[in-house]
Amino acid sequence: MRKPKILVVDDDPDLVRALRLRLRANNCEVITASDGYAVIAAAQKEHPDLILLDLGLPAGDGFVVLERLQASDTLSAIPVIVLTARDPQGNEERALKAGAAAFFQKPVDNDELLNVIRVSLPHRKAPEAPLMS
Amino acid sequence: MDHPETHVLLIEDNQGDADLVRLRLVEGRSRVRVDCVQRLSDALQALGKETPSLVLLDLNLPDSQGSETFRKVLEAAPNVPVVVLSGQDDEALAMKAVHQGVQDYLVKGDISSKQLERAMRYAVERQALLRSLEIARKQQLEFKNQFLSHVSHELRTPLTCIHQYVTLLLDGLAGPVAPEQSDHLKTVLKSVSQLHAMIRDLLEATRVESGMMRVEPRCVALGDLIQQAVTMMQPTAQAKQIGLEVGVDQRIPLVHADPDRILEVLINLTDNAIKFTPAEGAVIVKACLVETDPNMVYVSVTDTGRGIRPEAQSLIFERLYQDPDSVDNNRAGLGLGLFICKEVIRLHEGRIWVASEPGQGSTFTFTLPLYSLSKLLAPVITYQERLRPMFVLVRVELASLTNPPRGNWRETWLQCLETLRRCVYLDKDLVLPPMEASGPLETFFVVASTDMDRSQIMTTRIREQLERVVDLKTKGTLTITTMPVELGSVDLSQPLEKQVEAVAGAVTEMIMTTWEKKQWHAGSSGKHAN
Repeated sequence: MRKPKILVVDDDPDLVRALRLRLRANNCEVITASDGYAVIAAAQKEHPDLILLDLGLPAGDGFVVLERLQASDTLSAIPVIVLTARDPQGNEERALKAGAAAFFQKPVDNDELLNVIRVSLPHRKAPEAPLMS
Repeated sequence: MDHPETHVLLIEDNQGDADLVRLRLVEGRSRVRVDCVQRLSDALQALGKETPSLVLLDLNLPDSQGSETFRKVLEAAPNVPVVVLSGQDDEALAMKAVHQGVQDYLVKGDISSKQLERAMRYAVERQALLRSLEIARKQQLEFKNQFLSHVSHELRTPLTCIHQYVTLLLDGLAGPVAPEQSDHLKTVLKSVSQLHAMIRDLLEATRVESGMMRVEPRCVALGDLIQQAVTMMQPTAQAKQIGLEVGVDQRIPLVHADPDRILEVLINLTDNAIKFTPAEGAVIVKACLVETDPNMVYVSVTDTGRGIRPEAQSLIFERLYQDPDSVDNNRAGLGLGLFICKEVIRLHEGRIWVASEPGQGSTFTFTLPLYSLSKLLAPVITYQERLRPMFVLVRVELASLTNPPRGNWRETWLQCLETLRRCVYLDKDLVLPPMEASGPLETFFVVASTDMDRSQIMTTRIREQLERVVDLKTKGTLTITTMPVELGSVDLSQPLEKQVEAVAGAVTEMIMTTWEKKQWHAGSSGKHAN
């Protein structure tokens, strides 16, 4: 079974690098994007199994990205997990309503994040070995 | 100079006094319009229609007397300057009015046009000044809150980066780490957590100040929550060789509280207790009922620490208060913890206080309301002061395919609950707070203000939405059943409060007596979600 492919979206390259290392160590394939426009392009081209999305992004705020993903026939089924520095109050409900599968505020506990990634992945694509930190 | 017209609302029931004041007004000012009313009700109506430059107010009117009169006028027109027209014998009352927001008073029968003119002008000026101060204060508060919220957001970004890289190193994802290096990294991680907690407190305190803090109460078994907090704090206590114990009265009923928030309060109080107790001391967390206050549960955290000086006891819940004698000054924190605790408890309609004897230790106590179904139902099952006509009880049962459940079952049913809440009309349906304890079978109840036919639309929506919850597909089955709430026992001639209680009673009874599946409405039998 192939590894789950995760699209990591954040405009902080250092954080993207750390998340990439963390996810690779947990048996995932990682692709990245750093702005709102690139998310849609990467999602269309690469068909990731899950998107890890920051909200404060250049060229299209995270909410705009969520909206566009939901509006697309081919992309709306991809689970999106929001990982943001923004306050849950006012943003969490909005993100979940806009179609996000889960919401995390930075800094996030790795085990918790990996766990939610695992349960959010479409079943048939879940890795053979469970994600472990 | 051409003054703009002054519009005076004269509230005076004595025609003679009214005429005299009107005369003085016209003598003193060329451009003045005087509207005179005799009753408070007419005055309030006039204030609702048009805002005058000033109100002249007699306190004893046919439909209102004394302090009641000025309170109502100030409430109706908070930005209009008010000058009281007082009798010779009630200057004390007029003075009280001034203390409570009236600008000035004049003694009737002793008013010259000059005096009146002066009192009016000063009243208008002072009111304008107060108003601009109030506006400036609000702007400042808003600016500060925005600034703090921005700062805490900006601080989180680098902090997240530090956290990620330190955990990468600690988990050996960037190569093996020697034990000493690992120790140092753990110290960094501890500081990161402290910094994180401070940022969170800063934002919380900002929220408290701007009245934006929210709590989401559920039906909570307090004993479990206390046990959870104590288990989390046990390592900290052990590191200081402090005995940390639980003393919960097993009979305490369920409480209506936000479990995450109350856990924060418990952790905060326990952490403080440990911090201020010397090695080999003891900390005990208790919960009990108090006969004289039957609607509340009392929770207390007692330590054998050095206690709090009486003069500090009243300050301790204030924002930014720091104990000047803190033994641990280098890590004192921001002094926001108890301030936030106080607000969390206040939002639960409880109280929090401290009792302490210097040298003998301290006891922090807070109260939480008991879980009451009628209190929760009241806003949704009533409309315009009347009971809605029909209710249906919907039962949603999630059963795990395995016992014990596989994976993160709690996460699954929490997701389901969240989804369920999005399927109902929040103003007329209520998803009952779930029980905290979770097993392989999780049952949710919804009281819906609708009839059986229309409830089918709701259950279809609930089923469709819940079937989309990713986890449920692989881990459980879903059964939805509906049943009308019989309102036979509800006496509509009773006060509304009693009617609500009767509905709550009926719902409780249904939940209890219809636990068996077969008694539920036929035709809506269970269906596997996968």
